[in-house]
Amino acid sequence: MTEILFKAINTPNLTSIDVYEQTLDGYQSLKKAFEKKPEEMVELVKASGLRGRGGAGFPTGLKWSFLAKDVFPRYLACNADESEPGTCKDRELIMKNPHLLIEGMILCSYACQIETGYLYMRGEFWEYEELMDKAIDDAYAKGYLGKNIMGTGFNLDLYTHMGAGAYICGEESALLTSLEGYRGEPRLKPPFPAVEGLYGKPTIVNNVETLCAIPFITRNGPEAYSAIGTEKSKGTKLVSVSGHVNKPGNYEIPLGTPTIDLIEKYAGGIRNGNKLKAFIPGGSSVPMLPASKADTPYDYESLMEAGTMLGSGALIVIDDTANVVTEALGLAHFYMHESCGKCTPCREGTRWMYQILTDINNKQGKPEQVELLSDICDNMSFKCFCPLGDAAVAPVISSIKYFPEDYEELIGSMKTAQPVGTP
Amino acid sequence: MNTATQTDTVTLTIDGKTVTVPKGTMVVDAAKTVDIEIPVFCYHEKLGPFGCCRMCLIEVEKMPKMITACTLAAGEGMVVKTTTEKVEKAQKGVLEFTLLNHPLDCPVCDKGGECPLQDNTFKFGPPDTRMEYNRFNREKATPLSPVITIDRERCIACQRCTRYSDIIEKDQALVMRNRGFQNRVSTFKDQPYDTRFSGNVIDICPVGALTNTDFRFTARTWDLTNTNTLCGHCACNCNMTLGTRLNEMKRVTTRPNDLVDDGWICDKARWGYDFTKSKNRITQPRKQGQSVGIQEACTEVAASLQKIVEAHGPSSVGFIGSGYGLNEDLYSYQKLFRTNLGTNNIDHKTYTDTPGLPVAHFDLLDVETSDLVVLIASDPTEELPILDLRLKKAMTRKGVQMIVLNDQQTLMDKYASLSLRYNVGSDGVLLAGLNTALQGQSAESDLESTTGVSSNQLQAVAEKIKSAGKVCVIYNPVALTGSSIHTLKQCLATAGGLAETTVGAMPAAPVTNSVGAMDMGVLPDVYPGGLALTDGDAIKAKWGDTAPLEKGLSALEMIEKAKSGELKALIVYRSNPVVDFPSGHEVGEALKKLDLLVVHDMMETETAKLAQIVLPSNGPGFDEGTTTNIGGRVQLRTKGLTTDNPADWKIVSMIAKELGQETAPKDVHAVTAEIAEKVTGYQEIKRSAIRKQGKNREAVASANGASASDGTHTGSGLILRVADVLFSHDKILDAESNLAHQFQPSTVHLHTSDAEQFGVKEGDEVRVTGNGHEVKAEVRISNRCNPGGLVLPKVSDEQGVMSLAEAGKAVSWVTIRK
Ligand SMILES: Cc1cc2nc3c(=O)[nH]c(=O)nc-3n(C[C@H](O)[C@H](O)[C@H](O)COP(=O)(O)O)c2cc1C
Ligand code: SF4
Ligand code: SF4
Ligand code: SF4
Ligand code: FES
Repeated sequence: MTEILFKAINTPNLTSIDVYEQTLDGYQSLKKAFEKKPEEMVELVKASGLRGRGGAGFPTGLKWSFLAKDVFPRYLACNADESEPGTCKDRELIMKNPHLLIEGMILCSYACQIETGYLYMRGEFWEYEELMDKAIDDAYAKGYLGKNIMGTGFNLDLYTHMGAGAYICGEESALLTSLEGYRGEPRLKPPFPAVEGLYGKPTIVNNVETLCAIPFITRNGPEAYSAIGTEKSKGTKLVSVSGHVNKPGNYEIPLGTPTIDLIEKYAGGIRNGNKLKAFIPGGSSVPMLPASKADTPYDYESLMEAGTMLGSGALIVIDDTANVVTEALGLAHFYMHESCGKCTPCREGTRWMYQILTDINNKQGKPEQVELLSDICDNMSFKCFCPLGDAAVAPVISSIKYFPEDYEELIGSMKTAQPVGTP
Repeated sequence: MNTATQTDTVTLTIDGKTVTVPKGTMVVDAAKTVDIEIPVFCYHEKLGPFGCCRMCLIEVEKMPKMITACTLAAGEGMVVKTTTEKVEKAQKGVLEFTLLNHPLDCPVCDKGGECPLQDNTFKFGPPDTRMEYNRFNREKATPLSPVITIDRERCIACQRCTRYSDIIEKDQALVMRNRGFQNRVSTFKDQPYDTRFSGNVIDICPVGALTNTDFRFTARTWDLTNTNTLCGHCACNCNMTLGTRLNEMKRVTTRPNDLVDDGWICDKARWGYDFTKSKNRITQPRKQGQSVGIQEACTEVAASLQKIVEAHGPSSVGFIGSGYGLNEDLYSYQKLFRTNLGTNNIDHKTYTDTPGLPVAHFDLLDVETSDLVVLIASDPTEELPILDLRLKKAMTRKGVQMIVLNDQQTLMDKYASLSLRYNVGSDGVLLAGLNTALQGQSAESDLESTTGVSSNQLQAVAEKIKSAGKVCVIYNPVALTGSSIHTLKQCLATAGGLAETTVGAMPAAPVTNSVGAMDMGVLPDVYPGGLALTDGDAIKAKWGDTAPLEKGLSALEMIEKAKSGELKALIVYRSNPVVDFPSGHEVGEALKKLDLLVVHDMMETETAKLAQIVLPSNGPGFDEGTTTNIGGRVQLRTKGLTTDNPADWKIVSMIAKELGQETAPKDVHAVTAEIAEKVTGYQEIKRSAIRKQGKNREAVASANGASASDGTHTGSGLILRVADVLFSHDKILDAESNLAHQFQPSTVHLHTSDAEQFGVKEGDEVRVTGNGHEVKAEVRISNRCNPGGLVLPKVSDEQGVMSLAEAGKAVSWVTIRK
């Protein structure tokens, strides 16, 4: 088993900087990095094939190279908003190995010539704010942060910032807006954060898991990283397995591992000896797939080919005792509740879908409502301001596509509707 | 030139039509130029792209997804399609979502008839809705402020209003609260949204969510007669639409003119037009308190004036006008006094100023295109509100820098890169110091002790001016003391001589037609168009052989001579000296000594009460003619209301006729044409030329007096600074005004050290005394001015602050009593 992110994660007191240094050669990658020029660091990350673990899977080194040339100051905002239903990997990294993240943030800042970094954590992570602050203080005390780090002339200050509990603040532009003290609403892109981000300055937004992979890459070289995984999906991925499995939890896998292995080998199989019915591989924002596709390799390309996405890496498992309408309703409630309200289709559509699904789930639906649901999905899909609205249709439209019988069962006789939108 | 045009524009096709637009133009706007309508809700040209309503989705070749036309800048070679099946489905879908929880109470909605939601639904919408659930019920009509009503069910969350508050007003007073479908437009703690510019949100709201409380349910929009006119409240002369019904004012709305108001009006325009229906209007000519016909009144005025001139000579009669008159009215009056009565006893103000500028007269748009604005003694927020918005735009969105020189703190300070506060009354010394600095010399040694500003600081100002490519100087002559306007103009002349810098200025006196009044020669020593008395030949050529060449009396001198009995007759036009002149409390006694006092005004005033003959002036809403704004832009003010009373210029011409004037203009256009002929700078001011956006009159000759020191000010106590207040409780905004909630209590602003010296604390009720007069006020320890001065905002006529000021003195000393 290759462990990069979770290596020795359960070592007692790993949150202490001394234990981190002893156990994991903590902060040793800085020396290696400082021997290189910042641009060389960017090239190194490019060569590793690392892709963003926040959901979009954008190549990390490439993102770093998009920073507006010669515009300073630049900022780093580490995205620890982790609010996607099913996703809880960043939380484990933060709470068990905060220094790994700090080390990753330092490396990124050095590569991108950033002198100020923020760690934006979801409001519910209040327990780890203190822990993170202490870790940052300890890093300052050891000279890994602050002015003239390790005599290189490189300066970096890190701050934690707590969100107020809104899913949308995980979307990078809403995160920056919220960090600036405004209401958390996404803003227009372009300009992308790398050109005009925090306070209008070039900004790197990276996920916690993404940044936690940088120390390994720096220490062991890009080849060591790219040796793991598939041709296009390099490295390891933390997968949060949840739902109807015996051992829900976070597992680190080489990308390309068959999904069924995650369910059976890592997560201990389906509960109560039930059968797998469906799974949502990448968090609530991606389409669900039926059990027949469970052998799909868990990597960006294969999941895309199967009609879904890797997303944030949260595998939600649904067994055959469940009706997917109920699952879709639960997620529809989430999206209605979390829609920021900025754009019309998402604000109105999420609520309408929730109203209809509630009726159907209460056995008060009408056959034509399924068709209506599909059409609402079509009217929302890719017509919203940000991906949240597009994502909101994914569970609904895929549940209709793969499990019309579940709707039929609740409605009685139903005229099967062909979904209009392709999520 | 040609290459520049090539690279500055892009060419694209929209629905097969080829369009060439400037780079940066949004596709929605590009489409408009070829009459293709892409429906919008949230997009507003002045607020920039936002993209939240999704109404404007279009397809663009080579783009995988549909995209909003309001957020997409037109690109070279782009192929845009706005009528495909996909687009039409998206439009129907978005409209269905938009209407999902909309109450559809169009039959009782004020927006009905001019509602983008109605229009877009009609043109692009689905025939009906598939929504089967109860609509989301929310608060119906609730006050957002005393004058704005919000209907939360109608709101489509386009955020135009909140963005306006953020981007244009720079207040962020109005924000979105809550999330998702529960979001609501609100303010911090639901306090009233009552800024100076709040009403514009009503016009930009694309639905009937924000309505004008005063107008609600009083008329259907299609029953209104809409007149394109100008606001008459301040010297910005914003363009507005006056909506009337059955000859009654119903509402005022914006009428965008980018060269003047940039699309906005302030709340004084929107809710300050009740005076058109006030009981206090002068609607009947009066003689000794008895109503008379207008002809009789004019005959009487003419006969009395003639008798007095025959008995005591032309210098025994005088005219005090004001910048509230139209150019045509003011022009007619000065002509009456000069050519029919033979006197230069003509004036319109109590401060020192001279016509013309030694540098270019900059227009409002120049504020945005300059590199540096130097704001001197001006408080646009209270005096010229739309200039406030323009300055904020320039500072926050156009990269312009600003230096503020003022004796009091203003809301503009926070936008300035350098803000210097000089001691009240020290503006003359300060400006002389600035002139020295501009000339590259070092200042007098006592500069800092007199002004509170160091020579290094002035040096910094001079450096900034010298290093800027284009400098716009904005000054308020009314707030300069003594004769320091001359020094200011010398500074301008010096700056104008700088090799690398283009300098222009804007004389920003607050009263509506202050610039016009100067241009029209309502001055004792200058004929229209800046023609100086020394230019006898030119005067004779234009105004006839009998045109008087000796300097006349200034307004204050006329009051003085009335008191001494040397002045026998006075026409006071659109002015209320008893309240508005320094030593106003003594003016009444002086006026009572006159043989003849004629007051020609719109509202009953303290001065009108003293008049033997009162003539009605129709005023804004009813009158028609031109005004010249602070930018030198001459625009047409038309009437939306009618009255039987003749226009002001007509009344003047009736008096002139009685005095033997043979020719009379047949209508107001004839007067405008006469101005074009007689007033230098106004040659091009033709009705046709100014109808749309107005036109700058050419520079009027610059007459400037010598820079004379007003001496050092000695006295005891504190030096008085009277500050203008936009919503002052006066004749125009009376107790019944819709804006009465904006009236402020009488306050006096003291510096901490002076408050200590006088033993007063915040909130104390005190009397400010001086010049044999006292004003009650509440203490504010605000450091609004430097030690040694105090600021008294002029919050009402009743408060009587001007009586504390000594007529004819550069500064007035006052003291504080408990
Ligand atoms: C609605 C929404 C929620 C998101 N939430 C998160 C989140 O909680 N954490 C995260 O890292 N990225 C989240 N993202 C993705 C971010 O926008 C962004 O792509 C990511 O932080 C970039 O980091 P990466 O390149 O390291 O993945 C979210 C995106 C959307 C549209
Ligand atoms: S899709 Fe629209 S309403 Fe939904 S979260 Fe994004 S911006 Fe907000
Ligand atoms: S009140 Fe009007 S302008 Fe404001 S968000 Fe609602 S619809 Fe838009
Ligand atoms: S700024 Fe002046 S002219 Fe413009 S609307 Fe306000 S009062 Fe009228
Ligand atoms: S007008 Fe384009 S999104 Fe609202």
